[in-house]
Amino acid sequence: MLLTIQGLRKSFGDLEVLKGVDLSVDKGDVVSILGPSGSGKTTLLRCVNFLETADKGTLAFDGETFQLGRVPKKDIARLRKKTAFVFQSYNLFLNKTALENVTEGLITARKVPKAQALDIGRRALSKVGLSDRMGHYPSQLSGGQQQRVAIARAMAAEPEIIYFDEPTSALDPELTGEVLSVMRQLAGEGMTMLVVTHELAFARTVSSQVVFMEGGVVVESGPAQEMFHHPREARTRAFLQTGGKSHGKGVES
Amino acid sequence: MIRQFLELIFGQRLLDIILDSFWKILLPGLTVTIPLTAIAFSLAMVIAVAAALAQFARVPVVRQLCRFYIWVFRGTPLLVQLFVVFYGLPKVGITIAPFPAAVLVFSLNEGAYCAETVRAALEAVPSGQLEAGYCAGLSYLQTMRRIILPQAMRTAFPPLSNSLIAMVKDTSLAANITVVEMLRATEQINARVYEPLALYIEVGLVYLLFSTVLTWLQRLGEQRLGAYENREG
Repeated sequence: MLLTIQGLRKSFGDLEVLKGVDLSVDKGDVVSILGPSGSGKTTLLRCVNFLETADKGTLAFDGETFQLGRVPKKDIARLRKKTAFVFQSYNLFLNKTALENVTEGLITARKVPKAQALDIGRRALSKVGLSDRMGHYPSQLSGGQQQRVAIARAMAAEPEIIYFDEPTSALDPELTGEVLSVMRQLAGEGMTMLVVTHELAFARTVSSQVVFMEGGVVVESGPAQEMFHHPREARTRAFLQTGGKSHGKGVES
Repeated sequence: MIRQFLELIFGQRLLDIILDSFWKILLPGLTVTIPLTAIAFSLAMVIAVAAALAQFARVPVVRQLCRFYIWVFRGTPLLVQLFVVFYGLPKVGITIAPFPAAVLVFSLNEGAYCAETVRAALEAVPSGQLEAGYCAGLSYLQTMRRIILPQAMRTAFPPLSNSLIAMVKDTSLAANITVVEMLRATEQINARVYEPLALYIEVGLVYLLFSTVLTWLQRLGEQRLGAYENREG
């Protein structure tokens, strides 16, 4: 297993958002996390990449095991260089062009020589179909284009895994297609991906594993085909029947 | 031709005084007012960014010290601060020459105001920018230096320009601690010839000239810094 999480707990004040979550991702897996708004999916993903500090649990990544809640800063920094994160709201560096967004982490964090980084950056951007937008600033790009730059930024770092936090939820319906097709292509190349999403079609056709969460726990998980065609739990069935929109598509904290 | 016309308005004596004093006012403007402003404002920027970062990063103790410093220097008159440093400190054995004393007070005073401007600008940068920096593998300091600060300085630029322009004019207060800047130079000329209306208007116009140049530079700076901002959205 590339990533294994056990017994992850997280509270915000009195509100317990994650009540002991177990999850594992194998190399080359595309794991989709589904569930109604407020189920804790986004918080889970943020805890895994230390954007939130989990209260309890263990995280094993690439052969190393860590006690969540007291992982040293330098280990966090080291782990983050092996991973990449795609945000719901893109979070492109606003003062950097598309190309600079992709090369920033390579040059500044990973000390890749500039010429080589630019080369990687150009290739990554052309892969997501943005060769003609390299010099544009985020404010000059559409939401779909910004998210594709964010994906290019993530893959340029050649991470072990890419985390996606509702990558299409902030996009107009006509723009989600271009982002999903880039993700599909990435999955086809064998990239390991952990995806929080509301796109059931994507989860069904692209992911290898599906995790269904509700109320801060994993209700059910398994191979995508099995989960969609023979869900064991009543809650999973109900969720899938309403098209995953039973509780709206609200933004999660 | 022009001279004859001006003589008609001012009279020969007053015109001579105005023309003669112009260089005598402009010279200390160039050699005292501008260097005083430039040095003090540069130091103020260093103080402001440091104090703003310490508060933004919530560094304990240092943050409290910054709040205390800002509280004192924003809460007391600039003129009083000048008097304390220049006339007061010699009482406890600290004697500072007029120009360095002015630099010290102006930079500390301006630093306190600008620290608040920079802090507000830092807080205006979306929190996702810092998270994106972390996720790209950057450290806190790298993210601050390459992502957050450049964006904050873009936001802070217009209000900081405001402060700079205000400071050019505030340097006239240094006249009170014997710095011979433009206003004091004008007072000295006036003491000889007693033409207060003409001379004080004249020095006012020179300040206006300086401010106008700075306003123009501000616009130029905003255009350069605004490259990544698409106002039409």
